[in-house]
Amino acid sequence: MVGVTRGDRLLRLVASDRPRFLLGVLLLAVAVFALTTPDFATLYNLFNMTQYGVEIGLLALGETLVIISGGGSIDLSVGSILSLSGVVLGLLTMQAHINVWVSALLGVLAGGALGALNAVLITVVGIPALIVTLGTLYAYASAALVLTNTVPISGLPAGFFVLGQRHVLGIPLQVVVVFLPVALLLHYLLRHTVFGRALYSVGTNEVAARFAAIDVRAVRFWVFTVSGLLAGLASAVMTSRVASARPDAGMGYELQAITVAVLGGTSIMGGEGTVLGTILGVLVITVLSNGLQLAGVHPIWQLGTVGLVLVVTVLVNQWLLRHRVGVL
Amino acid sequence: MTVLLAARRVSKSFGGVHALRQVDFELRAGEVHALVGQNGAGKSTLIKILSGALQADSGQVLYEGRPVHLASPKVAQDMGIATVYQDPLVYPDLNVIENIFMGRELRDRWGHVDWTSQRARASELFQDLGIAPTFLEEPIGRLSLGLQQLVLIAKALSYASKVIILDEPTAILTQGETERLFGVVRRLRDARLGVIYISHRLEELPLIADRVTVMKDGEVRGTFPIAEASRDRVIDLMAGPVARGGPGARLRPGEVVLAVEDLAVPPRVRDVSFEVRRGEILGMFGLVGSGRTDIAHALFGLVRPSRGTILLEGQRVSLRDPADALARGIAYLPEDRKAQGLFLRMPVRSELSVAILRWLRRLLGLVDTSEEDRTARSLVTSLAIRTPGLDAPTSQLSGGNQQKVLLGRWLARRPRVLILDEPTRGVDVAAKEEIHDRIVQLASSGVAVILITSELPEVLRLADRVLVMHEGRLVALLDREEATSEAVLRAATGERTAYAGSPP
Amino acid sequence: MPALLLEGARVPVSRLRSRGASLLRSREASVAAFTVALGVSLHVATGRFFSLENLTNVLLDSATTAIVALGMTLVILTGGIDVSVGSMLGVVSVAVGYATAAHWRLVPVSLAGIATGLLLGGLNGALVAYGGIMPIIATLGTLSILRALTFQLLRARWISDLPPTLQPLGLGTLLHVPVATWVALALAAGVVYLTTYRPMGRHIYAVGGNAEAARLAGIDLTRVTLLVYAITGALVGIAALVYVGQTGIVQSNTGAGFELQVIAAVVLGGTSILGGRGSPLGSVLGALLVAEMKNGLILLNISGLAEGMVTGALILLAVGADLLRRRGRW
Repeated sequence: MVGVTRGDRLLRLVASDRPRFLLGVLLLAVAVFALTTPDFATLYNLFNMTQYGVEIGLLALGETLVIISGGGSIDLSVGSILSLSGVVLGLLTMQAHINVWVSALLGVLAGGALGALNAVLITVVGIPALIVTLGTLYAYASAALVLTNTVPISGLPAGFFVLGQRHVLGIPLQVVVVFLPVALLLHYLLRHTVFGRALYSVGTNEVAARFAAIDVRAVRFWVFTVSGLLAGLASAVMTSRVASARPDAGMGYELQAITVAVLGGTSIMGGEGTVLGTILGVLVITVLSNGLQLAGVHPIWQLGTVGLVLVVTVLVNQWLLRHRVGVL
Repeated sequence: MTVLLAARRVSKSFGGVHALRQVDFELRAGEVHALVGQNGAGKSTLIKILSGALQADSGQVLYEGRPVHLASPKVAQDMGIATVYQDPLVYPDLNVIENIFMGRELRDRWGHVDWTSQRARASELFQDLGIAPTFLEEPIGRLSLGLQQLVLIAKALSYASKVIILDEPTAILTQGETERLFGVVRRLRDARLGVIYISHRLEELPLIADRVTVMKDGEVRGTFPIAEASRDRVIDLMAGPVARGGPGARLRPGEVVLAVEDLAVPPRVRDVSFEVRRGEILGMFGLVGSGRTDIAHALFGLVRPSRGTILLEGQRVSLRDPADALARGIAYLPEDRKAQGLFLRMPVRSELSVAILRWLRRLLGLVDTSEEDRTARSLVTSLAIRTPGLDAPTSQLSGGNQQKVLLGRWLARRPRVLILDEPTRGVDVAAKEEIHDRIVQLASSGVAVILITSELPEVLRLADRVLVMHEGRLVALLDREEATSEAVLRAATGERTAYAGSPP
Repeated sequence: MPALLLEGARVPVSRLRSRGASLLRSREASVAAFTVALGVSLHVATGRFFSLENLTNVLLDSATTAIVALGMTLVILTGGIDVSVGSMLGVVSVAVGYATAAHWRLVPVSLAGIATGLLLGGLNGALVAYGGIMPIIATLGTLSILRALTFQLLRARWISDLPPTLQPLGLGTLLHVPVATWVALALAAGVVYLTTYRPMGRHIYAVGGNAEAARLAGIDLTRVTLLVYAITGALVGIAALVYVGQTGIVQSNTGAGFELQVIAAVVLGGTSILGGRGSPLGSVLGALLVAEMKNGLILLNISGLAEGMVTGALILLAVGADLLRRRGRW
């Protein structure tokens, strides 16, 4: 090829195999942080990271499903759903004196209900997903604050912390008991089920999907509801891990979830995205956040860095698209 | 006799298909020049070249005697060639004045937008067209399509255009609006503009055109004054000799599978009644805007008919959505395979199986991939689909093979009734043959086929009966023997002929 | 010249000399009416709404929202959105705060604020117009980057005890109406002028109304897009001046959640979220409505925490109603 620069070739390599690229970035990040930051390359830290990664991972998987459904679908409210679900869990346990595990289940279902509310406004009323989830982002967050009067709910029974704080052969329990099963389930859903096929079809060409007798509205309804459920699940895990239900627990998580999904290969246009890619994205972002935290960078900059990663990733994607190489 | 716009020996091909062959055309000042021909005759391509939307492969375009290079519609517009398309390109929330002047605002001496002048000018433009300008402040989206069209003509005038091209303008108009449009067009002619008027409504031509050019298969078959353009002569030129002789005798059609009574589908289809039998190929022919696709959409549950009944094997049915139609055995191959049919990025295997996913569902929603594989393979073989593999994305296939994939998707469903909407549009000759053979095979195996097509040879070759639509009405139902190209075209262009079979 | 019979215009034509669709006229009027009605209801319920002090507070509160809502209107008109205005307010407030603390005079401080805002807005515009990034994604990114930047610039402290340079702008009144409101109205007049009398301002409507037609008409979509985000940034700059003048404090969470109010103001004021239709004047009225709603919460002793729910619900109701009405209409 005439005129292909080394930069071009690198980008082509990047574009052709996203998972391998992310793996490379991951190893690089790990290496950099291991060498420059004390306490990074310890088992203890690895453990911590993975714990945190579960929560982001669940949200990102939900976001992946939503974005794959195309048509501008995006869920900005996942962070707030997480907060509100946690509050529901806390209040049911401490105020209504319901068994904490039952409350946790109800909290997850509450997340699903909140997601379903999004879904109804989007598929039935027809308001663009962007606006609906922007509105509910604030509405749900506000509800969480009002219900708790900004005071975190603590005093939960210690038995509940097993989920978030214990481990099995050195691996955090929530990874084994929650994340892996969910990830496997969603991978199976996307790759091998009728729903998965329908989802990719809707995201690739909504009109053709309709003409192929696929119920587009139903598909979109379910992805937003599942996104809510996953946020509720993440909330239960987080509450168990930090031993309290904070009304602002989920602040900023939507940004991370979207960034992880996009980084992992989910195209904002819809029709593309995989569980594996999202998991790799979670790993990269988690390593990044954790490394920065250990290096003494303020949490606000962790979020800022994620924002930077998002912008850069999409910029590169657009560049690649324009030059018809493929999508990053 | 000034020649405003001319094409000299213009040719254009798209991927090996000749859309225009050495076309000569000229438009004089002060004339309304009608351009007629069947779908696919090359009218749109010619118009696109004359308006800058496409560039010719060879030949010249001359404006006012000078060769010009119309690199884009904007260049053509600035030069004085304005086109009004069927889909009005408007800003629906802005009012008429804003629509006319957007992008070329009139300014006062301080550089501000001069609303007073714009309103005055807009009034003037409409008065020149003979229309009372009482709607200037209305958001254009609220006006009827006919009025929107007039606004676009006024806009074209505001560019000081000398050439106005109208693409099937009366397709969307009522009788009254058509007369209004004619009045406007006559004024344009009197003002020494040149108007190219594409239409398939042959009965209109004597009312408005000065000359007629007939095209067929990318060539100009004749250009003559309207006085010499009798309906017979025009149709004869449009149709030309057509090779008869179908793919061979088939089984006699069986009992009625699908019947439609007094069907009305907004916006224009009404009083349509017909039936289709097992093993029969019912051709549906018509020109642009005739409503065939609307009928198809109603039969597939995409659109609810405003009146009428659909009967499947004698039972009344109400089709809620495509899934419902499919469950009852009605399948529909859409008109636009890229926009409405294929997913392009997905592998051939998935494209083929997307309509039978429900049948492939096993425990826990799992897709039976080995069954999918078997089905895909057998379809690829029976339709002779040339593909690098079952996992190749459909975007890699040629147009003909893509169409076959789409056909295969619906065949997998084993429908009782298969509606095909332009199944060989944009398909190479070899694939066309193969698809035709398959259609006949299908009918022989007992499927009731409704073949919607704008290609006369195709419908004459394959159809047992030909249903002709015109402006949303069923104008003719011809048996195979009665369906000559002249008869079909006559009906399609508005002449009512005798019905075959029972009247509604 | 005999006029031909006119058919087809089913809607009775109003002879108002409006500069936009007459439809919008009625929308602005209904927003105004609703604002008044809400005020009356609040007064009936609490007896305290129509006091001079309270009204002044409401106007003061609405000023920053109104100013930025003018820019947001333009952005949404093109079919885009900017959720970073809150974080932008933070960064610019820091700049303004530092400048004020360093005893700069009013004019230099103002220029610094506007320039900073313009720069940041231009950044958003570049990402969307040249980078081709979807507005929500681009501004979601800059939202977090700028929030981190705000924090960074403050170095974990906050700015307070400022010299009163900006106070006249933030808290002063003229003829019983806050200066800030006069500023907002003046800017509104400017934006209305832009969108009515400047060709570039007209093109904003085209880009959101029908991008394809706009391109064919020779409109430079990139420039228009860049312009609307840059203008929004500059307006955030002015809003920051008012804000710092009003509160005298800049913290790391200054401006957090501000974007919600601004978007609510725009949507309530009649601008369509799909682009192509809207009115800057309506957004100013919308800002007043939002401030009134917040005030109502206080008067009714409802926790301020509920603001998000109320504003979010209002947005959804307004957009939902608009969409359902549209579906019926055309």
